[in-house]
Formats: sequence, structure tokens, C-alpha cells
Amino acid sequence: MLEYSLLAGILFGLYFGLVALGLNLIFGVMKIVNLAHGDFLMLGGYGAYIVFTDFHVNPLITLLVEIVIFVLIGFPLYYLLVPRLQASRDPEMLSLILFFGLSQVIEALATLRFGSSERSIPGTVLGDGPISLFQQTFPVAWVVSGAISLLAVGAIYIYLYRTRIGQLTRAVMAQREEALSTGIDVQRISAIAFGIGIAGAAVAGVLSPFMMGSITPSMGVGITITSFAVIVIGSLGNPLGTVAGGIIYGVALMFMQTYFSSWANLLPYLLLIAILLVKPTGLFGRRMRNA
Amino acid sequence: MRRLAVRPAPKRLIPMLVILVAVVAAFAAAPRVYSNQLLLFNTIVYLVLAQGLNIIYGFTGYLPFGYVGFFGAGAYGFSLAVLHWHTPPLAALALGTLVAIILALILTPLLRLSGAYFAVANLAASEAVLQIVSNPNLTDFTKGPYGISLEKIYNPTLSYGAAVVTLAFTLAIVVYLKSSRFGLALQAIREDPISAGMAGVNVVRGRVLAWLMSALVAGLIGGIFAWYVSVFYPETVFDLSVSIFAIVFALFGGTATLVGPILGVLILYGIYNVIGISTPAYFQLIYGLLIVLLILFLPNGIVSLIDRGTRRVP
Amino acid sequence: MSREGSSGAGRPPILAVEHLVKRFGGFRALDGVGFTLNAGEILGLVGPNGSGKTTCINVISGIYRPDGGRVLLDGHAAGGLPSHRLVRLGVNRTFQVPKPFLAFTVRENVEIAVAYGRDPHADPREFIAFAGLGDVVERQAATLNSAQQKMLDLARALSTRPRLLLVDELAAGLNPSELEVVAEKLISLTHLGIALVVVEHLLGFIDRIAHRVVVMNAGRDIFHGGLGEASRDPQVIEVFLGG
Repeated sequence: MLEYSLLAGILFGLYFGLVALGLNLIFGVMKIVNLAHGDFLMLGGYGAYIVFTDFHVNPLITLLVEIVIFVLIGFPLYYLLVPRLQASRDPEMLSLILFFGLSQVIEALATLRFGSSERSIPGTVLGDGPISLFQQTFPVAWVVSGAISLLAVGAIYIYLYRTRIGQLTRAVMAQREEALSTGIDVQRISAIAFGIGIAGAAVAGVLSPFMMGSITPSMGVGITITSFAVIVIGSLGNPLGTVAGGIIYGVALMFMQTYFSSWANLLPYLLLIAILLVKPTGLFGRRMRNA
Repeated sequence: MRRLAVRPAPKRLIPMLVILVAVVAAFAAAPRVYSNQLLLFNTIVYLVLAQGLNIIYGFTGYLPFGYVGFFGAGAYGFSLAVLHWHTPPLAALALGTLVAIILALILTPLLRLSGAYFAVANLAASEAVLQIVSNPNLTDFTKGPYGISLEKIYNPTLSYGAAVVTLAFTLAIVVYLKSSRFGLALQAIREDPISAGMAGVNVVRGRVLAWLMSALVAGLIGGIFAWYVSVFYPETVFDLSVSIFAIVFALFGGTATLVGPILGVLILYGIYNVIGISTPAYFQLIYGLLIVLLILFLPNGIVSLIDRGTRRVP
Repeated sequence: MSREGSSGAGRPPILAVEHLVKRFGGFRALDGVGFTLNAGEILGLVGPNGSGKTTCINVISGIYRPDGGRVLLDGHAAGGLPSHRLVRLGVNRTFQVPKPFLAFTVRENVEIAVAYGRDPHADPREFIAFAGLGDVVERQAATLNSAQQKMLDLARALSTRPRLLLVDELAAGLNPSELEVVAEKLISLTHLGIALVVVEHLLGFIDRIAHRVVVMNAGRDIFHGGLGEASRDPQVIEVFLGG
């Protein structure tokens, strides 16, 4: 039981690291909390669901297509919304409200288009039979999702630390003002990060029917809060910190579901509040966030 | 002799009192001439919530996405007092309000957080309260997910009256904040908390008082809502869209003013009901778009069309 | 402990800073700095960038809590008190980057400080006039230029009737004639018995107004005395020139 909870928690944790990755990247680069994060994830999930039910395409293929599509959506969306916000008097609060509005728009459109009932994709689509890990058996989908999460985090890591644009991205993360003054095209770097951020949400979304059991248009808000909890547990602006935050969250969730199942829904909310209050710098970070 | 420091002039106070009296009188008299009392009641609820949000967001800059948590706490505090202890409605309202204030006190540490952290943590807090109230394990006490039914005390006339009184009380708080040095101090905290401290303002005390005042009015109107409708589910009184509506109404009109949130509610909630769309998703779509457009093109609300600096608007 | 400047009259100095320590993570921004100041005196606080001058003012004005050492006002411990309490005790300050309430008018900026300061019946116009902002009383602070915003900071600080005024780089960016006006204003404050700590890079300005200076380096006080002697002190020369 204990080993099972622990391993399942790690698999889920890797996935939650992926869920929160894009939110963290966008926050790190442009200091904007994308409150529509969970809704982009939901769209990614519906994309996979519809392509699977209508055309019987494997979600893993949809996943690759969605990365391209969401990066391409992210670009114009960034230029439409963010530069105007950053010129305003209080970009942080206004962006929060604006992306909250965007979240409502996406949820409403999804409800109108897909209906409000729950949708799911059978787990066997990703492979047959349970997989054994350390004498414990898990659904294939969990293991596949964990592996994809690792790949995605690895890709972000390589992007940030092994490419030219990634290097510039880190410069913008560390010192936006100085990056501007040294002539880095901050807008372009930010637009790319925005695209990658929501593409990350979409990737997590493709896997969400398997990891969360089902998807609905209204799942976004809860996912956004959970993601926020994960990046707060980890550290802001650091992809590896997000994975650590995800694993801590995933293990805690599994133990809650095993031993206090009826209260497990409370976990993300209480964890978020507790960490913000007790260790406002996150478990692995030291950024100030007090008023 | 030294002259007294120039206080906010009474000439600013009088128009605000006129607006207060006119709005309250209109809602007190309206049921005699307009038959849809539920619509009037809901309008009052949103006027109170939009102004309550204005108290904390407009004057101190804290945006409580989970503002509905106080509304729900008031509704449940009221209902549980009636159900378990057969408390008379007015006393139960006091208890419901107290529950909301206690919740606000528990959440006071959130005020240490800045901007987005406060907003999201507050949203999480209201979701947590909903999860607790609707948990099946607590059905004996809270009725869990099955909701509340209070037919025995159903009294639309009296509860409508209570709502009108609450509206007057809430508007009076905003008038006070617009015309007192305490209100100016809160806005100074919003502008720059460090400078506010150097102006001699007790920043922590100011924030906490504004927070408790805004929780108080939301809890009170939440209890009255429970009384008026008398049958509801946890999702009804902890519905995130209640927070959204209050935020949109206040923002649309213009925060840190008396007339802004009133205009916001009357115009937007009016349109909402006149159009009478029956699919909630369309509302959500329209309100979401409205938020986006407001932030992009009119971040200080429609009152900023009248005057560039909204601080002069009553 | 007694350093130069503490009067022998038996009254404690208006401000005594003793072995003050302030850490940010592992970095010691203040590492045992100490000095005293009497009523009507102007102390220049000088030192290279990052030597801890502004941090010192931030601790004395209650923006940071000290991690060690003491701040004494009239001999009473005042370290770690919130800003508004210190304002009541007679401390105020200006900011290097001015921090007025941008949405407020000049008059409101001053009114709020009068209302919550030590003399709620004072006339705000007195401070506005002193700061030379009489022509812009009804302007929004956001529309003022940076020199005007600095003077508004000064007006707001004086509105609470401080006995100890901490001035953080008020002179930077002013032209010579403006400098002279500001120097005279600050000196005139000492005639009211106000004590001033002046942080400044312009040594000519310090020379014009300060009775004595404390030179800081790496969070410590390395020299107390006149500016002239300081310029001949080998340790000070080392810090300023040797980097």
C-alpha cells in the first residue's frame, strides 16, 4: 500500500509537473499569472478527445500536432494582449483580471461547442495491460504520461540551457529591464515563451483524460489552482523546481486518496494556502512575494 | 490660530448622500410598482457584493477572487443556526455575518501576500470552504452536497426589507470611505504601502479593517440571500461566478467610487435580464469578453469617461 | 558607548545606532554600523555604492527589521517598530526614488500625512509652500517631474513634524542653483531643532550642510569626523579610490 502510493504519487507528480510547467515558464518570463492556463489544458484535452472519437487518431499523434498549433495560437495571442498590458499602470493585477476573463471566454466557448458532460478516452488506447514497476502494477496510461512528462521537462531544459533563444529567455527571466536595455528582442522572446507555455498546457491536456479520468469544459479553474500550487511548492521560473513541486504534490495527493480519501479534494487548496503563508518563497526558491 | 487641515469638503459628501438615498428609496419602493421582486432582490445582492468588493479592491488594491466565500459563509451560518438551533431570522443573520467575519479573520494572514498571490490564495480558500461544506462526511451538520431547505422561515417581504437595509448600510460605508481620512488612508496604502507607513498610517490595521468590512457586508447579504430563497445548494452560494459578477460590475463602473459599482450593476445586470438569454454559457462568454475588453481599453471603468482621474467622481 | 557628537549634557542623543546588522540571505548589508546624532545636527552618511547607507535608513525608518544591534530614539529602543509608530515618535524620511501617492494631488499627499502625523491641526499649505510646490497644489503627483516629486516626499515627511529626518539622495539630479536652495532649506530645518541624516553622493553638497560625516563601507562605519579629515584618512581613500 505504502509503496504503491509512493510510486503512483511519483508518476502523478511527474504529470503534475508537466501540468504546471507552462504556467511557470510564462510567469518566469513575463511575470504574468496566466489564469487561463487550465483552460488551455482543457482545450488540449478536447482536441485529443475529438480527434480520437471522430477519426480514431492515437492521442500521442494528436499531441505532436497540438504542440505546433498551440505555439502558433500563442504568438498572436501574446501580441494582442500582453504588450498593451505591460504598458499599463498595474500590469500584474490587470493581467490577472484579463486572463481570468480569457479563461471565462474559453470555458464558455468550450461549453457551447462540446456540451458540459464529462468525456473520456479508454486508457487502453495508449497500450495494453497494466505495467509492473518495482512489484507494483499501474495502468499503462500513467506510466506513459509520466514518461512524456519527463521528456517534455527535458525538452524545456534543453531549450533554456542549450539553445541561443533559451539563453536569451533566461536573461529576460533574470532581469527584464536590463535585457531590454541590452537590445534583446524581449517581445519576441516572451511571445515564444508564451507559445511554449500554452503548448505545454495542451500536451498535459492530451494526457488529462487518462490521468484525471475525464474532462469537462469547467475543469480549467481547478487545474489552474492546482498548477499554481505546484509551482508555489517548487520554485517560480525554474522548470526543475516545477517537477519537484509536482512530485511532492502527487505523492501528497496519493497518500490523501489512500488514507483520507473523502478529504483528498481539499488538498491542492490547503497546500497552496499553507505554503504561501508558511514559506512564501517556495520550498526551493527565494523570490520575494510579500506585500 | 492654526487653521484646521482641509478635510474632504462637504460639497463632495452631499451628492453622495443624495445618490445613496435615491438608490435605497428606489429599491424600497420598487416592489409596489414592479412585480418581479426576485429580480429586484438579486440586483440588491449584486449591488451589495459589488460595493463590498469595491471596499477591499477599490480602496486597498487587494483583489479577492474568492469573495463569494464570505457570501457562502454568511448563507450557511444563517441556515445552520436556523436549522440546528431554531434561531429567529434576525439573530441568525447576525450569526451568519459573524461566521463570515470569523472566516475573514482566519484568512487575514493572506493579506501578507501581494497581488496575484493574494488573489489566487483567496480563490483557493473559497474553494476549500466549499469542499468542506459540501463534504458528505459532514452531512449531519451542513447537509453536505444535498443543500439547505428553510421553508419554515420563508418570508420574502421581510427578507427583501433586510436586503434594502443592508444596501443602505453598504452604500453608507462607501460614502464614509470616500469622504473620511480613513478612506484616504486606505487609498494611500493601495498607492504605496511603504509611503503610507511614512505618512503615519497603520498599514496592517487599515488593510485588516477594510478586509473585515468587505467580509461583513458579503456575509450579511449571504445570510439574507439564504433567507429569501430558502432552498439552495452549496454550489449556489459558493459559485465562483458570483465573485466574477461582483468583480465585473465594480470594474465596469469604476472602483474606488460610489457611483461606479452602482452603474456597473444597473447597466450590466439590467442588460443581462433584459436580453434574458437562457444559456448560462452565453453569459459567461459575454462577461469574459467584457473583462478582456475592459482591461485592454477602459481599465478605470466607465466613470473614467466622465473624468480622467476617477478620484474626483463621487 | 559614547562616540564623538553625543553631548555631555546628560540627555541621550536623539538617535543612536549601535552595532546594527541587517542580512539579506547570506549577505550582510549592515554589519555592525553605529553612530549617534543630536537635535539640530546634520550628519552626512557617505560611502561607495552598496556600502549600506540606504539599508541603514530603511532600518531606522522601520521598513526593514534589524537582525542585530539597536536603534535608540532618545535612548529608547525603537528597532523593528513599524513605520507608522516611528512616525509618531518623530522619525520621517525621503526616498532615493521618490514615492509619492501618484493618484493623489499634491495637496492630498500632504493632507494624509498631516492627518496621521504628530500635529493633525497643522496647515498642509505650510509644508507645500516650504517645498516650493505652491504652484502645483492641485496637480496629480504622477504629473510632477522627478525633482518636484522629491520635494513632495520632503513636504510629506515634514508634514508629520519629525524630529529626526532621514534624507536619501535628495540632491541627485538637481542643478547648482536648485542645490543651493535645497541646502538652505535643510539647514533651516536644524534651526527648528530637527536632526538630519543626509545620504548623498555629491560631496560638495555634504560639505555645504553637514556638521560631520560617517563614512560607511561594507555595512560598517569606518570613519567619524569632518569631511576634510575624511578625505585625508588612508582607509577612506582606500575605499573610495582603491575600490
